[in-house]
Amino acid sequence: MAHIEINSNLCKSCYLCINACPFGLIKKSAETGKTGEYTVEFYDKEKKCTACASCAMSCPDIAITGVFK
Amino acid sequence: MQTYAKPKSIKENSSFTFCSGCDHGLAIKLVAQVIDELNIQRDTIAVSSSGCSVFLYDFLDVDCVEAPHGRACAVATGVKRAHRAKGNNKIVFTYQGDGDFASIGLGESIHSALRGENITAICINNTNYGMTGGQLGPTTPMGQITATSPLGRNKEYHGFPIQTVQHIAICEGTCFCARVALYDIKNIYNAKKQIKKAFEYQQKGLGFSFVEILSSCPTNWKLSPIDSHKKIEEELTKIYPLGVYKDIDHE
Ligand SMILES: Cc1ncc(C[n+]2csc(CCOP(=O)(O)OP(=O)(O)O)c2C)c(N)n1
Repeated sequence: MAHIEINSNLCKSCYLCINACPFGLIKKSAETGKTGEYTVEFYDKEKKCTACASCAMSCPDIAITGVFK
Repeated sequence: MQTYAKPKSIKENSSFTFCSGCDHGLAIKLVAQVIDELNIQRDTIAVSSSGCSVFLYDFLDVDCVEAPHGRACAVATGVKRAHRAKGNNKIVFTYQGDGDFASIGLGESIHSALRGENITAICINNTNYGMTGGQLGPTTPMGQITATSPLGRNKEYHGFPIQTVQHIAICEGTCFCARVALYDIKNIYNAKKQIKKAFEYQQKGLGFSFVEILSSCPTNWKLSPIDSHKKIEEELTKIYPLGVYKDIDHE
């Protein structure tokens, strides 16, 4: 099952990954990170993720550490 | 199966010191991916500069020299030539801000290009002096408000901005130069392609290769990271057109 790994300790809440995902599978989480803003989480109930890695390529802090197919 | 992993050339347990959404992180990641793909991690020497990228040696797992403000191309020249004299063909690249490359270090930069120095320069154009608080820089477009141009850049007082990549393109020693951006996924992949080309031209010994990267500075622009990317797409690419400005393999 395609999925991504997020290291919340590295996330600076820029939300560029939310913008980059073609299926809108990343959303703000309820947890706050090191900037005091909400970090992000991967949410794929309908199994739409294709492991295209657009989110990981767009993350300026390498907080998305792995994409799996 | 893993389709994406953290680049090997980024240090384990390192975390970038940049502001939220800053394109410096993206640019360094692309450079690391290119170093991985060309399999040159052990043969690469980075020359970092003053500016937000000053801690480059903390992020990239390659040998690194810190150059004084603006002198990265001069330091890289020495590094490249000293190794060549000993018969070592090292890949040497500089990673510089626009203030560093195109203002305080313009002499070093242009003359490295004119000499056809066999090095690669990466210039992060975020239209201001980011690290010191967003002052007007050589690439600040007309009208932009910065810490030292509170009424916007105007030609009477500040003069005009520099088109860095076009100036490098007319230097005879330049073998490859391009301007890229990072505001969407297509452009990110294109930026990586051009950075890779610049490194490959150096491997072939063709001369000075240069990539200017239009980058966001959300903190000093006082915009969100997403709005900063919108500004690059809608405004900056009109002032600083993207593209390959010189490629001797296609002439
Ligand atoms: C000779 C010298 N003059 C001034 C400075 C102060 N200084 C440090 S970083 C910097 C701005 C760098 O801006 P830029 O090259 O555009 O990189 P950015 O921070 O935007 O990535 C300045 C002026 C310095 N370190 N050395």
